[in-house]
Amino acid sequence: MDYFISDCESVLYPQQPSLQARRERQAFVHVFLDLMWFFKRNRSRYFGGIVLLIIVAILTLIPPRVVGIVVNQLTNRTLTKAHLVYALLAILGTALVTYGIRYWWRVLLYGGSIQLGTDLRNRLYQHFTLMSPQFYHQQRIGDLMAHSTNDVQAIQETAGDGVLTLVDSITTGTVVITTMVLTISWKLTVISLLPLPIMAYAVSRYGKMLHDRFTLAQAAFSDINDRVQEYISGVRIVRAFGQEPWERKNFVQLSRDVVSKNVAVARIDSLFDPTISVIIGFSYFLSIAVGAVFVVHHTLNLGQLTTFTLYLGQLIWPMLAFGFLFNIVERGRASYDRVTTVLNIAPEVKDHPDAQDIVPSGDIHYQVRRFCYPDGSAKALQDIQLTVRQGETLGIVGRTGAGKTTLMRLLLREFDVADGDIEIGGHSIYQVTLRGLRRAIAYASQDNFLFSATIAENIAFANPDASQAAIERNAKIADVHQDIMRFPNGYRTVVGERGVSLSGGQKQRISIARALLQDAEILLLDDTLSAVDAQTETQILDELKKNRVGRTTLIATHRLSTVEHADQIIVLEQGTIVERGTHQSLLARPGRYYNMYQRQQLESLVEQGGEGR
Amino acid sequence: MSAELLNYPQPSQNRGIFARLLRYMLPHRGKVALSLTILLVATATDVFQPILIKIFIDQYLIPHHFPENVMVALSVGYMGLVVTTSGLNVFQLLLFQMLALEIIQTLRVELFDKIQETALSFFDQTPVGVLVSRITNDTEAILDMFMTVLSTFVQNITVLAGILIAMFALDARLATYCLVLVPVIAGVMILYRRISNPVFHQSRQQLARQIAKLNESLQGMLVIQSMRQESRLKREFGEINESYRRSRFRNTQINGLLLRPLMDVIYFFVLMLVLWYFGERSFADFVNIGVLYAFVTYLSRFFEPVNSMLQRMNFFQQAMVSAERVFQILDNPLLAPKPVGTDDPVICRGQVTFDDVSFSYDGVSDVLKHISFTAEPGKTVAIVGHTGSGKSSIVNLLMRFYPVEHGRILIDGTDLKTFSVQELRSKIGLVLQDPFLFVGNIASNIRLGNEKITDAQVEAAAQFVQADTFIRRLPEGYHAPIGERGGTLSTGQRQLISFARTMVTDPTILVLDEATASVDTETEDAIQMALKKMRHGRTTIAIAHRLSTIQDADLILVLHHGEIVERGSHQELLAIGGLYHKMYLLQQGGTRDLI
Repeated sequence: MDYFISDCESVLYPQQPSLQARRERQAFVHVFLDLMWFFKRNRSRYFGGIVLLIIVAILTLIPPRVVGIVVNQLTNRTLTKAHLVYALLAILGTALVTYGIRYWWRVLLYGGSIQLGTDLRNRLYQHFTLMSPQFYHQQRIGDLMAHSTNDVQAIQETAGDGVLTLVDSITTGTVVITTMVLTISWKLTVISLLPLPIMAYAVSRYGKMLHDRFTLAQAAFSDINDRVQEYISGVRIVRAFGQEPWERKNFVQLSRDVVSKNVAVARIDSLFDPTISVIIGFSYFLSIAVGAVFVVHHTLNLGQLTTFTLYLGQLIWPMLAFGFLFNIVERGRASYDRVTTVLNIAPEVKDHPDAQDIVPSGDIHYQVRRFCYPDGSAKALQDIQLTVRQGETLGIVGRTGAGKTTLMRLLLREFDVADGDIEIGGHSIYQVTLRGLRRAIAYASQDNFLFSATIAENIAFANPDASQAAIERNAKIADVHQDIMRFPNGYRTVVGERGVSLSGGQKQRISIARALLQDAEILLLDDTLSAVDAQTETQILDELKKNRVGRTTLIATHRLSTVEHADQIIVLEQGTIVERGTHQSLLARPGRYYNMYQRQQLESLVEQGGEGR
Repeated sequence: MSAELLNYPQPSQNRGIFARLLRYMLPHRGKVALSLTILLVATATDVFQPILIKIFIDQYLIPHHFPENVMVALSVGYMGLVVTTSGLNVFQLLLFQMLALEIIQTLRVELFDKIQETALSFFDQTPVGVLVSRITNDTEAILDMFMTVLSTFVQNITVLAGILIAMFALDARLATYCLVLVPVIAGVMILYRRISNPVFHQSRQQLARQIAKLNESLQGMLVIQSMRQESRLKREFGEINESYRRSRFRNTQINGLLLRPLMDVIYFFVLMLVLWYFGERSFADFVNIGVLYAFVTYLSRFFEPVNSMLQRMNFFQQAMVSAERVFQILDNPLLAPKPVGTDDPVICRGQVTFDDVSFSYDGVSDVLKHISFTAEPGKTVAIVGHTGSGKSSIVNLLMRFYPVEHGRILIDGTDLKTFSVQELRSKIGLVLQDPFLFVGNIASNIRLGNEKITDAQVEAAAQFVQADTFIRRLPEGYHAPIGERGGTLSTGQRQLISFARTMVTDPTILVLDEATASVDTETEDAIQMALKKMRHGRTTIAIAHRLSTIQDADLILVLHHGEIVERGSHQELLAIGGLYHKMYLLQQGGTRDLI
């Protein structure tokens, strides 16, 4: 077996192996080594598959042999009925046995590779659930999707087709060539195999050219993709400036380019099969011509010659496959590298080794000297000294980017503070488990993301076993019950990408209901009432007050009316608290809060069409 | 995308779609015929090769009779056939692939032309990504199908026919027996299709579900984490993943039962048939070993094309899905408004009149209600109102992006509908809120594909809007490259470039859809200066967000919920003390002492 590998490689690279070739050869071994953990875990499956492949390789030697024997008996006119029946039975037996074995190894090997794909996807998903927002900020979702689909697919192919091709070409090649040498004629074998190295060379050579040209074709395709994307995004400009003819010319030119690059690929592609045919034809020619000489000299009989040409036919596939193997393995390796890179990124936020698994409760105490996001140099928060008593409501106001959301995200430990601490009921949030901390907090975020599921399932997201009564109770508090009942399917209406589209206000209220159902001590509303009209807002806030006695609520908002009744209001500007107090005390003196209030009064007048005053 | 994967057309629809696709081959009839001819010749030379060997075996090798000239002739003939076959094959394979590429090129341009004349409302409803994918990815899937049909199916069926004919030429009776292969293989194909199609669809659906689940989980990961639902979601994903695995595995099982392994069994059976035939005959008669050899060779060649056809059957379905989507766009009846009549009126004075115009995007709620006003030549009409009051819809109608259904818009007293697109585009200059820049350089963004505009004109326009200074400061000046969406330039700079783009055509009527985005003071001053110069002597319809920029307008219209609630000059409107007054106060505050 070892002998065959080295032999084949020297066949593929007859000259001094280039650096590229050496790297490829390394990659070749490497990805199989990388996947060794999987092969080992599925030892019996792979061992069985390989043994079966070897058995098939040996069994398929029988029919050509039988044909050879029959041919000899026909030429010598020694064939009897019994001989013929034996011969046919031998072929029949081979047919049935190989059918079973071929099915079996497929199920073993491909079944294994499908399992590998499934395992990898589960591992990736598991990994994704551990990653903090920092990770999602750095990675694009599209890339993560590509790793979990295309890359896993490529690895799966390496473990399936890759292993199969490697083992099959080695076993078939070895078994057939050995049999040709041992049972027919080593001289004839050597002579008729002479052209095959040329084929292997041509295949790998074309393969490389194809690869290069294909890359160019892909680039042209991606050019036209970008261009169309831009065209459609800017379609209004195109129309406003009557630019259509030029756009068309441009598009035609780019699509012509795609065609010409693909024709370049087609040129090589169309050489592929015919070249192989010529070389194989030459090989056949040599075996017949030289074989005939041997037959004349009685060193070979006609039956053996027939058997020999049939064996020759069996060698074509392993030779070809070896050329393709490099492509499969190369892609598999690149994909495996990408997947491992993602899997090796350690979670940024994790439980402290001696974290207590308790649900913290009590006053919230912020003591943040300075916080910056990991990627940005600008500080997001500075000198935040803040205590929110258990059961109180805190209003956080300020412009976009002032740090309102950051304040909430720190409490949730989406990011960790390096300089400072946050405590809940005297426990540092870094000394309790993430699980415990998150049980204490319900968060209705700004983007109020809903899942493609029914409304009921969305509201009960934190607790899928919640009763319908509990779901409706919370929907009523969030003042969305009536909206839901207006949908034809009520709570069973599917929302999200494939469902009905909800208005911004409906989404916000559903996400509030979802947060309320968590029944947590601390509720964070991050600008979650912005798309709700003033009257509904008041209603929701009243309900919240009634239903959340003794529990803490943090509300970040642009709209001051939302926090009018808060026990404490802070005004944030560029990451620091610039004013604090109650609505009354803040309005009592001219300052930022006061100005904002005046402005919003006017704004609401304008929105209502200027009536009233 | 995930949802789309789930919609497969019915088989009956498939036939129609397929027929429509094939119609794209009609213009290339000549090439198709040429390629087919070459293919036929190549197949003939191909199947003739074993016959030469048969002649050699039967007439020379067995009798041990080797006349030199015949041997040379046979050798040269054989190798000649091998080389000719390959040469012809290279040619026809290339021709067929080029044909497929040619067809896709036609389809792509047709699709692009269609999109060019589709109504803008279509773009509002269809996400950019979807449209891009129609023009590129879906046509690519159709290309795959053409390649498969032309290269795999046509080729392989021809080769199979060639082999059968050669068999008949060698031994008609045995060939007749071998004909049993045709229905058997066809039967296996139909069986495979019937069994594998549902499983294939199922696995594609499961894949789509898996992708959707993953995508959604990644987008909503923060919600999942903050609600501690990681393990539940992991379980749910695991279940989908597992059912995908199961259907993939079933696919493997079906392929293992019906594809290559089964074809090998059939091969062995036919081999048995051939041996039995010759064996039986040998008891009564003399047999030609050469014919036996040729038959065995043909049989071993017979199954490669069959296998490759079987493997590609699933390609088809994907192409049909793509083709259906492409045709949906091609058949979309929503077209951009076209000029009515053949008068070809010309815009010279630039008077714009809205006469009782009402408009609705969805046919249900009106975004504009009974709008009437006139902009006299050279005067400025400003339209103000808060977000959603319908300001931008006025621009959309005036630019004829959408058809006017109720009321009339007149330019120089002539209905807007009757103007040619060219006349409108060259005389009405639009400056959009979002200064969209294309990938290219500064000059190309000012010129926008109009090659008649000289470099001098480009620079003059830039100077006119005072963009020249900053452009000259760039290392490459007017040839400074611009990346996706304007990349390196500031918002204000992008705006100035988009002004220059409008002014370079010297429009009679100017439509300004003012930007809300704030820019630094220095650029803001330049922008205001430029706007003032641009408006001078041109009829201007200005959509304004900042009242400060339109105080000198000849007429200000205050829009609220699609209606004009106040109209007059700045001073008049302030005097009324209504909505405009409030907005003014708000903005005064906004610039004076607030934040």
